[in-house]
Amino acid sequence: MRIEVDPRRAKALPFAVGWAAVIVLGGVSLGTAFLGIGVWAPIIQFGMSFIQTVIVYVLFMRLKGPPSLKWIFAASGFFWLLFLYGITMTDYSNRRGWPPPSAAAPPVLETPSARAP
Amino acid sequence: MPDSALPRPEIQFATIAQQGDTAELGIWAFLINETIFFGALIFTYFLYRNFYPHEFAVAAKDTVLWCGTLNFLILITSSLTMVLSINAAAQGERKAMILWLVITCALGFAFLLVKGYEYYLDFLHKSVPIVAYEIKPGEGNAGILFWAFYWVATGLHAIHLMAGIGLVLYMLLWRIRRGLITPAYYAPLEVVGIYWSFVDVVWLFLFPCIYLVGRS
Repeated sequence: MRIEVDPRRAKALPFAVGWAAVIVLGGVSLGTAFLGIGVWAPIIQFGMSFIQTVIVYVLFMRLKGPPSLKWIFAASGFFWLLFLYGITMTDYSNRRGWPPPSAAAPPVLETPSARAP
Repeated sequence: MPDSALPRPEIQFATIAQQGDTAELGIWAFLINETIFFGALIFTYFLYRNFYPHEFAVAAKDTVLWCGTLNFLILITSSLTMVLSINAAAQGERKAMILWLVITCALGFAFLLVKGYEYYLDFLHKSVPIVAYEIKPGEGNAGILFWAFYWVATGLHAIHLMAGIGLVLYMLLWRIRRGLITPAYYAPLEVVGIYWSFVDVVWLFLFPCIYLVGRS
């Protein structure tokens, strides 16, 4: 019996490249944690997380290809998440007493890690 | 491929391809719930990190970075081996499919082993709210919020990974053993692979939330 292999399942190289890309992006993310670039560190780190997610979704989770309805399913999770975030922030931003007093003026703490190296 | 070589679809499907497509859409529908589930958890984290940035930075500095990084490498590699197993299934290479699945399963267990060791270190360091917790210098009263997130998020993630390992074992010990995964129909393995990679994606977000805060 001759097997007709799905062309998207015939080669390992694209997946290996995707795997390497995710690791490199993870390395960049890790590196920014030690650079002392302040608020840019989490922005870059979560930017890397989003790019890694796109790679994993499209390549490893085979979002690319039929059935194309998968795109709507995958996107709708994030769409509803945006609703949730929006409604929650509307609530929090209109609350009295938020942010709490301690958060409004946080103390400057320069304490080294308590855990032994 | 002659029609006689194709497995018969379930009664509600016209073709085996339609059955496979439906299975894929099913797991994506499930992942919508999972996205909102973990998304809400991570949003809560951001909310409190925004309110208590210094306390969170001091608390997060006590997480074990090498464990988190090693687990990142283990998980992303397991996603690759899972995909290679599905590729082998599509190509009818039964031995390769089994081998890659066994490696995937082993990497899943390795993740749990590293996580378990990290939990042990956290316990020694008294970073377990309610059970064994001690406020460290600089953490203030909000440090416990970080540790509560850490335990809930990593615990839920570990439960999801255990479910993934269970599914991989089910594939190995039941479906593949009985010859139910073939090049003509390997959608069940594909579905498990999609779930496995999603668990990996969750870690891609938990990693910067937990391990990369307050390091500089």
